[in-house]
Amino acid sequence: MKRFIEPNELARDSRFIRQDNAMATVLASMPDDVDAIVAAFEQFSPMIEESVRGTAAQELFEAYGPAFTLVVLNEPLDPDSAAATMRLILRMHGIFVGELQALEGAARSLWDFPDAPWEFKMNMARQCWDEGRHVQIFEKLLEHLGGHVGMFPESTFLFEAACSDDPAMRVAGVNRGLEGLACDVFRDMIRYAEKTGDEVMQQAVDYVLADEITHVRFGSEWVKEFTKGDPEHLQKTQDFRREVDKQFSFGGSRSDREDAAIPIAWEDRKEAGFSEEELQDLASVSAEGPSKETLTQAAQILRERFHAKRNGEGARS
Amino acid sequence: MSERMYPGMSPDERTTFSPYSAFDIPADLRQLHGRYDVASVARRVRNFRYAEEWMMMIMGGWVATIPEVPVKTGLGKVIWEGAQAADEFGKRLPELRCGRKAVEASEASNEGFAGFVQAVAGPETPDLTIEKLVGVFDVLKPHLVEIYETTMRETDQISDAPTIEILETAVRKTRRHIAWGQEVLDRLCDTEALRERRRARADELSEQLSASGGVTGTLASDRGQLN
Ligand SMILES: [Fe+2]
Ligand SMILES: [Fe+2]
Repeated sequence: MKRFIEPNELARDSRFIRQDNAMATVLASMPDDVDAIVAAFEQFSPMIEESVRGTAAQELFEAYGPAFTLVVLNEPLDPDSAAATMRLILRMHGIFVGELQALEGAARSLWDFPDAPWEFKMNMARQCWDEGRHVQIFEKLLEHLGGHVGMFPESTFLFEAACSDDPAMRVAGVNRGLEGLACDVFRDMIRYAEKTGDEVMQQAVDYVLADEITHVRFGSEWVKEFTKGDPEHLQKTQDFRREVDKQFSFGGSRSDREDAAIPIAWEDRKEAGFSEEELQDLASVSAEGPSKETLTQAAQILRERFHAKRNGEGARS
Repeated sequence: MSERMYPGMSPDERTTFSPYSAFDIPADLRQLHGRYDVASVARRVRNFRYAEEWMMMIMGGWVATIPEVPVKTGLGKVIWEGAQAADEFGKRLPELRCGRKAVEASEASNEGFAGFVQAVAGPETPDLTIEKLVGVFDVLKPHLVEIYETTMRETDQISDAPTIEILETAVRKTRRHIAWGQEVLDRLCDTEALRERRRARADELSEQLSASGGVTGTLASDRGQLN
């Protein structure tokens, strides 16, 4: 069996379809400019349409046009907002596939780094069990909300962060970058469940969050260990984590900004070994995207143009 | 003479407590002396650690390339319990005079067994779940249960009790793994052709395993001892 695999080598059963990762890159590098965002989405529109065809996201595409992801990511989850359940299920599905990739990433670390210290292998092995349980938990929560596996396309951009052949970089990107993001998202989900009085979801996600803090802590400790006595290496891992953090802030949707859809879980992250300085840094990295107002305007324009075009096509035929 | 609580120095200054203790009820029938001395138990433990460590690494490699979601999640737990077994074996080594650093010492009994482990690790692509699982759950784990139990039975029951304790836990969990793996394989192999694939893979690997002498390299003499 070879060491190191590509994201497109992740094995899936017939329920799953893949999503092009290019969209995620576009989202991560959007400027604070309405026209530029509109142009980017219009350019990707056929690809987005293709990727959602036959999935539950097609409904969101028909309603909001190619920028439906902007609406989903940019607006905080509110039980009273339109299509709240479908949006919640979309997020839940994203978490489900994220857990699947986290399981695969931790497991691959056992095979890809056969000479790593034993304690590292123990931590990764434990993470395999935890992520396996998380997959089971989110599959059940997905059903609890009325969704099912495979109803949305799966993006593998989470696993991409797990592809570094340097163990320090991998744990920096996955355990500190992505699992840190998981802490933010899960804290937000718990808040949502409290609002809707969903005790099943509230308790399950609370347990998962406890596990994730442990995984972030693995990351915090192993980055230190792997880069001991090598400040240049440490700097490289920090830069990589910042890159992952920026990519996964979705243009400020996850940030410390007042209008953030997913706020940074400051306290949970501190418990997981993030320093105050690192958190300040994360807040500034993640806030770099376009303002909420820009995104709202762009989404509005894209939606109107999309519907105008659809109506035009309808009139011609 | 008054009843004494503590013995004095002369023969008539004994206590009146009868020489029975809770430890004799039921009687301890264990006998001293086993088949292995300290050095050979240490070698066995290093061999066991090798098998458990490699098995969990191999399954770690497979999780991403197996398409069946319940197999991925089920392997997560098997990996963790394998790591725990390897960890317990490692911690036993310094107690067997292998030095404090020995906790990470895994050792294959011989090149043949190392080659067998690499053969188990061979299948990669998503269409080979059967070949992957057979190696671990139909061949290697059942073999380990056999050798763990032989070792438990034949080592010194009192002097080497700490090894027995570790093996007892490993056997209990490994039996659970085997039951899970076989249930999965029974479901996956739902045609005669697939069942034949399972058998062929198991036969091929079992042969290689036997030729190597197994996890401790002493399969022939172990089995001779039993008969
Ligand atoms: Fe997780
Ligand atoms: Fe995690």
